Amino acid sequence: MWESVLAVYIKEMTEVFRDRRTMISMVIVPIVILPLLFTVMAKFMGARSKEAGNEARVIAVRSQLSEEFTTALRQAGLEPIVESDLRASVENKQVAAGLDIDQTGAKEAITVYTDNTREASQIAGERVKGALNALQNQRLRKRLQSAGLPAALASPLDIRGINVASQRKMAGFFTGSMVGYLMILLMFTAAMYPAIDMTAGEKERHTLEALLSSGASRDGIMLGKILAAATASFLTGILTLAGLMYSLHNILPRAASAQVSGVNLLEPSTIGLVLVSMVPIALLGASAMLAIALFAKSYKEGQTYVTPLLMVVIFPAILGMLPGLELTPALALIPIFNVSQLVKEIFLGSFSVAAFCVTLAANAVYALIAFCVAGVTFRRESVLFRT
Amino acid sequence: MIHVDALSKSFHDRKRGTIKAVSNLSFDVAAGEIFGLLGPNGAGKTTTLRLLATVLRPSSGSATICGIDLVHDPDRARRRLGFLSGDMGHYGRLTPRQALMFFGRLNGVSKPELGRRAAELLHRFDLDSVADVKTDKLSTGMKQRLAIARCVVHDPPVLILDEPSAGLDVPGARSMEQFILEQKNAGKSIVFSSHVMEEAEYLCDRIAVVNQGELKVVGTMAELKALTGRTRLREVFLDLIGLTPEAKGVHA
Repeated sequence: MWESVLAVYIKEMTEVFRDRRTMISMVIVPIVILPLLFTVMAKFMGARSKEAGNEARVIAVRSQLSEEFTTALRQAGLEPIVESDLRASVENKQVAAGLDIDQTGAKEAITVYTDNTREASQIAGERVKGALNALQNQRLRKRLQSAGLPAALASPLDIRGINVASQRKMAGFFTGSMVGYLMILLMFTAAMYPAIDMTAGEKERHTLEALLSSGASRDGIMLGKILAAATASFLTGILTLAGLMYSLHNILPRAASAQVSGVNLLEPSTIGLVLVSMVPIALLGASAMLAIALFAKSYKEGQTYVTPLLMVVIFPAILGMLPGLELTPALALIPIFNVSQLVKEIFLGSFSVAAFCVTLAANAVYALIAFCVAGVTFRRESVLFRT
Repeated sequence: MIHVDALSKSFHDRKRGTIKAVSNLSFDVAAGEIFGLLGPNGAGKTTTLRLLATVLRPSSGSATICGIDLVHDPDRARRRLGFLSGDMGHYGRLTPRQALMFFGRLNGVSKPELGRRAAELLHRFDLDSVADVKTDKLSTGMKQRLAIARCVVHDPPVLILDEPSAGLDVPGARSMEQFILEQKNAGKSIVFSSHVMEEAEYLCDRIAVVNQGELKVVGTMAELKALTGRTRLREVFLDLIGLTPEAKGVHA
């Protein structure tokens, strides 16, 4: 049987490397499109952030402010201009924020207008509030001073926040969340074209009968096909990891992500563990897609059948990106989610060996089940010769 | 070489219920014999040939090829047969040489033997010049020749040919006939179905007429002519499936 498995595997891999669709999703997307997208995204985010910062400088006030307020706002990098309708000025994007100071009462009543759907307005609002807080503290200290009291009374609590997460951990969280999701998504996408080509494609090209009447056993044929589709998927995983690591280390830090800058996540153990965790996923994806695509009579029909599986995969993969979730042995039984979460934890450097083993074993069992389903389906005449 | 005993095949269809595609078929084919299966569309010819090629599993009955049971040992039986049908496709991204190597390996031909055999077949079927060109780029005639080469790459003692000349032009059909006769002379058992009466008359040692999944009659051309009193195979055939006015009268 192994001679047939090897023959089918070599033949399918030859076809995979000669199929333009597969090569695009297997090679071009991870190592060209992905870094390109990140470059564009980083440039856009950088430019947008700079633009929002500039936009956030101009705020509207109802009338000329006192010297004290003007100085406080200017120190915060804000430029107040006089506008009669503060709300409308903010809504019409003439200014980033509006500041209304009502000095008619015993105490100045201050209202800050912002449009929280705009980044510039949010930044301006924060700047205004920061400037006003500083002014409030300044006044309080003056009043305490004139009353002969120590200035320290103004702030009875000395509050400091310390992020205990190392820069390595922050970078790991940021990278791990993205790597797991994108690897799973692209690996499934890359397995899709070969899986359809090896099943529905065989029917459409009328090559299936020749294959079935050869000396190879059905199980041998199916195993060779699954291994070939899984190889295509796994190679995509490796290239996706390479593309992402290149993007995260060389493109994003320059623009948006200070979190990953200067941190080396390319430790051989991290890369090795991530790739090992993806092996059962490649086998699971290939087996499941082959089993489904077998029902189709044509390539087009195969795409219709297999595409919903991608939707099913995306949801648990995204769940793994959420912060706060931890991979317990029980959660490690949930396919796709488990590996997405595991990859994040590998990059965080906080994964447990038990969770790693359970994830690997669970996904291997699911892959075996999918393989058996594909094998049984491949023996069903009603599926192979569906009219 | 081929022994078929009460072979039956039923399919289940949600709308039409159980359909008997082949019913109780029995025949033998000797070494060096061409056995023709004739019948109208839907008669069960293709199903019969698919059963013999072990692509389908019989609902009941049995069959052996070179003494190997098709139901109990299909993998071993398949290595002793070559299956070819008129609408058989190709792996367009493989070259003819790669296709032959692939099917040879699947059929258990050893590596050194396979290289020699592939080169020999590429030469025999005039495919030398395109041996390393993707099959997609080949002409229809070349593809048909490659399909034949593929089917005999492991030099099987039994050939099952389902309308092998369907869609071929006159020279293509002629070269197909030559190939079938060559194989017969090499002592192979050949089961072959066709709609072309002239071709069947020219090639077949014995002919079986099948209709509605049942074997109506088996015999040599002379026997069939004597049975029906007709001289042309077409008339013999129509008579036997009950489509001539006389036969209709008889059936009524």
